[in-house]
Amino acid sequence: MPSLRNPAIAGDFQFDTFIYGAPPLAYPASLSQFLIYNTPDPAYVTGRINVSAFANLGAGTPWPFSNTNVPLNGHVCVPRGRGPFPLAVFAHGNHNPFENSTPGYLYLCQLFASHGIIAATIDVNFLNGSNFGENDGRAIVHLEHLKQFRTWNNTATHPLHGKVDLNRMLIVGHSRGGEAVGHASFFNRLAAIGLVILDGSAGLGPYRFGLSAVAAIAPTDQQFTPVTGPTVVPDPYFLIHGSKDSDVFTFEGYHTYERAHAVDLANPTVSDGKFKAMLWVHKANHNQFNSIWASETAPGVAMPRASQEEIAKVHLGALAQLVLLDRREYLDVLRDHGAAVAWDPAGTEFVSQYQHPERIFVEHNQEGVAFPVVSLPVQGTVAADGVVATRQLTALVGGAPTTTITLRLVWSALGSRLRLVVDPATLPAERYKTLTLRVGQSTEANNAANRDQDFTLEVASGSRTAAIPASSLHRLLYPDAPPFGPAKIVMQTLRLPVERLIESGVEPSDLRSISLVFDRRATGTVYVGDLQCSN
Amino acid sequence: MQPPQPPKITGVEVVAAQPTEAESAAIAHLSAESNRSLSQVAYVVKVRLKEKPPATGMAWALYAGDVLIPKYWEYADGIYFTVIDPQFFADHKGKRLRFSQNGVDFHDTGIRLAAPPAPTAAARSKGKAAKGKAARLPLQADVLK
Repeated sequence: MPSLRNPAIAGDFQFDTFIYGAPPLAYPASLSQFLIYNTPDPAYVTGRINVSAFANLGAGTPWPFSNTNVPLNGHVCVPRGRGPFPLAVFAHGNHNPFENSTPGYLYLCQLFASHGIIAATIDVNFLNGSNFGENDGRAIVHLEHLKQFRTWNNTATHPLHGKVDLNRMLIVGHSRGGEAVGHASFFNRLAAIGLVILDGSAGLGPYRFGLSAVAAIAPTDQQFTPVTGPTVVPDPYFLIHGSKDSDVFTFEGYHTYERAHAVDLANPTVSDGKFKAMLWVHKANHNQFNSIWASETAPGVAMPRASQEEIAKVHLGALAQLVLLDRREYLDVLRDHGAAVAWDPAGTEFVSQYQHPERIFVEHNQEGVAFPVVSLPVQGTVAADGVVATRQLTALVGGAPTTTITLRLVWSALGSRLRLVVDPATLPAERYKTLTLRVGQSTEANNAANRDQDFTLEVASGSRTAAIPASSLHRLLYPDAPPFGPAKIVMQTLRLPVERLIESGVEPSDLRSISLVFDRRATGTVYVGDLQCSN
Repeated sequence: MQPPQPPKITGVEVVAAQPTEAESAAIAHLSAESNRSLSQVAYVVKVRLKEKPPATGMAWALYAGDVLIPKYWEYADGIYFTVIDPQFFADHKGKRLRFSQNGVDFHDTGIRLAAPPAPTAAARSKGKAAKGKAARLPLQADVLK
């Protein structure tokens, strides 16, 4: 892609970095890494907030405040110029509270600022420790930092007056902070959380920010669950996680990803208009996304720290270019990680998924665990020839039981196939750019170890058939060995351009069948998430 | 590399303490909602651990029987959680405390949830003076020292 510049390369903006905080603060000597917040930049003085309805502070750490008056501390990189500039705010997760986790994302803040984005990394260390269930509190802290930037933007005498583009905001969280950004996205729309009114009358809120996207780095999931049920992220969602993660080792965020922008069985053609994208990075671990945290894996297990940070810069940089700077061409990177191959560290293997808001499901599998069917309103039939096709609640990535049904296909002879016959009058494929399939292989014995899986995608209209090897669209990688526990089955989104079908003589307005033909490996097991026509 | 091991519980103690402001509001709300007169008491359930779990992303969720304890916090000797509704103990005292990381695989600690301390005669005789009782209870910060 000659027109695209590597988003990990610094941009042309010069920027200044400020410490902000809520004096008077007097961190004790045992919290020496926090002394920088005792004397914030005079122009960047903040207030305190009361998070006692959500979280306690760990009694083992001598914080110089209580949960009724926690400070809004952070580091912000501000581009020079008139603005207004978009805003990105990063939050760390749980870690040793005596070690300041906040500066660990400055490498990303500096990159973003160089591209004309105000980028901050916030202090949530006071919620760290041997705690559980506090991620609603982390979400509130994150939202209150956004509110602080809105206040500064609206304050005539402040250096950020008129400089913050309040319609372009990205929140990014790592680990428990990654779970919390999902809750923040959900809370952002609420007038109250339980007894806590979010109208500002008790200090918290109002929010209702225009969040352009929510990004989660190796997040947890459901350590906090709202009374309404597991959080469904309502904003565009991006997820990145490493196969060697030895902390959040069950790829928790995949559950968050599956709940976001899922098919509505009552209205399957209705989309909420938001995308979601996911990047599974082989050999990346948990801690190396934060430049402060020591690696949790033994030497040689994970990729080098510099490589992992580079991957974060490329892919979060591409996301920022897309959603904050309106550079639509970077959507290609979310759609297909192959678009970034020249920028990512050589040899790195990825699995990625992308769901576009403009889509129609040909098969989403969520009707139940019976034999697969073509999903309404598309009409048709499904036939399995030599393939054992089972829809089941497979724990693809470990962790909590999944609520998403996946189609498991097992074959033991070349030429086996799963065939979907569709009524072309009910499938307007010509309105879309791609035929999209989520599919991945497992470590089950009939998949050869360390070998890519492959099959042929046959798409027919009338008498014309296009036969496309799956491997020509993307590799279907053998799962990377996890640090412990079972290997994850991470499906890859295969995007077959409708243009390619047309070149093969297939008429998309008369699309009659779609088949997975297992003619490239004698045996195998693959898992299919869904089949869509999408953009 | 080995997967994380669940914490080992060495003891459980329940101490009546003054509720925080947020807990007071929750008690008042619960009283009104359930049409019960709940005392202004927060029961601090101190779970002493042989070794506290590390401060990581993943966590060990604590259960009393099958009921998830939604939040817990760290103190010097382990973890603690607070209960504002004594009905919780009526329903769950004596149930086994269990840890889980996924809600599927549980590690039974062999320790059972203790009952709250019986109210003193003085407190019983002044049961209606809920606020006065709360004022005589220790602060949670003192309970956790």
